[in-house]
Amino acid sequence: MIRPVLVRREAPVRGGQPLAFAVGLSVALLLGAVLLLVAGDSPIEVYRRMLSASFGDLEAFSVTLNRAIPLALAGLAVAIAATMGLWNIGAEGQILFGATTAAGIAQAGEGWSGPVLILAMIVGGSIGGALWALGPAAAKAYIGVNEIITTLMLNEIAIRLIRYLINGPWKDPEGYGFVQAPALPEQSFLPNLFQRTHVGLLIAIAVLAVVGLMVSRSSWGYELRVAGSSGATATYAGISLKRKILTVLVLSGAVAGLAGGIELTGNATRLTETVSNGYGFAGIIVAALALMRPSGVAAVAVLFGAVQVGGQSIKAIGVSDAVSTVLQALILFGVIAAGVLIVYRIEMTEPKVRST
Amino acid sequence: MIFGLTFPETAVIGLLFAAIQFGAMIYLASLGEMIAERAGVLNLGVEGMMAMGAVGGFVFAIETGSPWLGLLAAAVIGAAVAMVHGLFAVALGANQVVSGLALTIFGVGLANFWGTDYEGVRPEVQFADVDWGPLSDISWIGRILFQQSPLAYSAVLLGFVTWFVLNRTRGGLALRAAGESAATADAAGHSVLGLRLFAVAIGGAFAGIGGAYLSLSISPGWTVGVVAGRGWIAVALVIFGAWKVRRVALGAFLFGLAMALPNRTESFDLPWDPILWSMLPYILTIAVMIAGALVLRNRPPAAPAALGLPFRREER
Repeated sequence: MIRPVLVRREAPVRGGQPLAFAVGLSVALLLGAVLLLVAGDSPIEVYRRMLSASFGDLEAFSVTLNRAIPLALAGLAVAIAATMGLWNIGAEGQILFGATTAAGIAQAGEGWSGPVLILAMIVGGSIGGALWALGPAAAKAYIGVNEIITTLMLNEIAIRLIRYLINGPWKDPEGYGFVQAPALPEQSFLPNLFQRTHVGLLIAIAVLAVVGLMVSRSSWGYELRVAGSSGATATYAGISLKRKILTVLVLSGAVAGLAGGIELTGNATRLTETVSNGYGFAGIIVAALALMRPSGVAAVAVLFGAVQVGGQSIKAIGVSDAVSTVLQALILFGVIAAGVLIVYRIEMTEPKVRST
Repeated sequence: MIFGLTFPETAVIGLLFAAIQFGAMIYLASLGEMIAERAGVLNLGVEGMMAMGAVGGFVFAIETGSPWLGLLAAAVIGAAVAMVHGLFAVALGANQVVSGLALTIFGVGLANFWGTDYEGVRPEVQFADVDWGPLSDISWIGRILFQQSPLAYSAVLLGFVTWFVLNRTRGGLALRAAGESAATADAAGHSVLGLRLFAVAIGGAFAGIGGAYLSLSISPGWTVGVVAGRGWIAVALVIFGAWKVRRVALGAFLFGLAMALPNRTESFDLPWDPILWSMLPYILTIAVMIAGALVLRNRPPAAPAALGLPFRREER
């Protein structure tokens, strides 16, 4: 029987990751088109709308950038942890708790001036995210508890915490019986940079640059990468694995929480349990597509921002925005496959009788 | 009254009934994940496979008028979705964590897309509870154990079958070998690729059935977010159960209890908001993981040795 077998190429295909990205993206769009056809929608119409809603003009692009901010930060959060071989699947929960902390600060600081309040909310969001990651970080560092599961469970807990707050202690007294958090004070709104992109863009760029340099250039980052590739080597070199795990996961949580704080002051009018909007999960895909490198996160985040903004726009023609979620996953699958095929080729062979 | 809590009879019966119901649902998904992991494949796509099973099972049940056909469809769909992970993580040897997470996002997204037209459709077709005759009439036990959905009994049966196949057949031995030492299994003449793909497919089918349990029996109908993170609890349960059927079953009942309690806080006169109680299964998962890590600290790991490692013969 002739079977396909993966054989390592003598040299990887030239063009590498960008090529894999282009191929993967095309395949994903193609599969998405098939899905839309099966559902009875016109792929051309859907894609045309998605493109014009995300890149059509400067205003559209500013909305895309707006979305790219939390995606880039969430992606960065996942990528930092992954540098050390850790999986922070809890960015979603850290964003939520970061936003919750920021909302709490907004309530306390109703009388503060705008800049002070905004700064406090953003810093508070970041601290909230760090706190939300602290438990899984300590459990992983000191007793080896699988961080994938603990960070994930805290996502579910964060959603319910906000639900509880909105239904009870933080219920809006002026909500006319509506179950909602009180509206944020007006001076807490982050000013816009241009069109509909808010100042959070600058914060995100700065954080990406600083953390990116920390990982790639500092001795701290070097130790991180050593620990990520071999724990034994790191221990031998005198690097404290426990401390590293703890600091990396907490930093990762702080970056995700920062996204929560920025989302609340930048885009929300009040705290809701959907403020994180799946950014934490999309951040995993963003980071994976950027090969866990902070430098690549920004570009992928803009692309995903566009896919998400595009996904919102097709609701107007009666197509579910779940299409954009499916597309994001398909892009990742496409790029994974293309990435493998850059290093391996498929050969149809007859199984040989093994000599060993 | 014990510790100032009241235990009205009907409430206790209702709680235990629901605990078995939720427990059996999560047990199915966990068994499937356990089979895949015993073959060496970590599949974090359980949440996505359950979502697809839930929507697919409901759609097929409504369209064919038979819950059993819906269940069959859910199993097939679960297996088919799992094969996406099979293609990427097993055949292409991509990172299993990345592929599994992508599968969850993909499955949940696709389920929501598919379910758009079925949201709020009246669940005219669903599983009726089994009537075991005189057994079902026994007070307490009859209501708790012998008036369950056929899916609960299927879960128990599948648990025994899984245990038997894994531990008492040559195929099961080969499957476990693929998860402990793929090179050894390969040298013994087994197709590691085939065994792993099979295990992933079975895992997907079980997860699909677990999803259909939700949409055809526990809370009939389709709504976005019906799986609600339970797929992840199923993954945690495998770790808690130390990759053994019996311990997974025990854990499933415990988590079933934790999932059933939040809806019943009023009948037990429990303090605090029910929303706080709804955090219980997730808090319990974390607590159990921490306790497990503390207890097992100085023992050899129970996980299959080759879990998460792709296998390529050339690179042995």
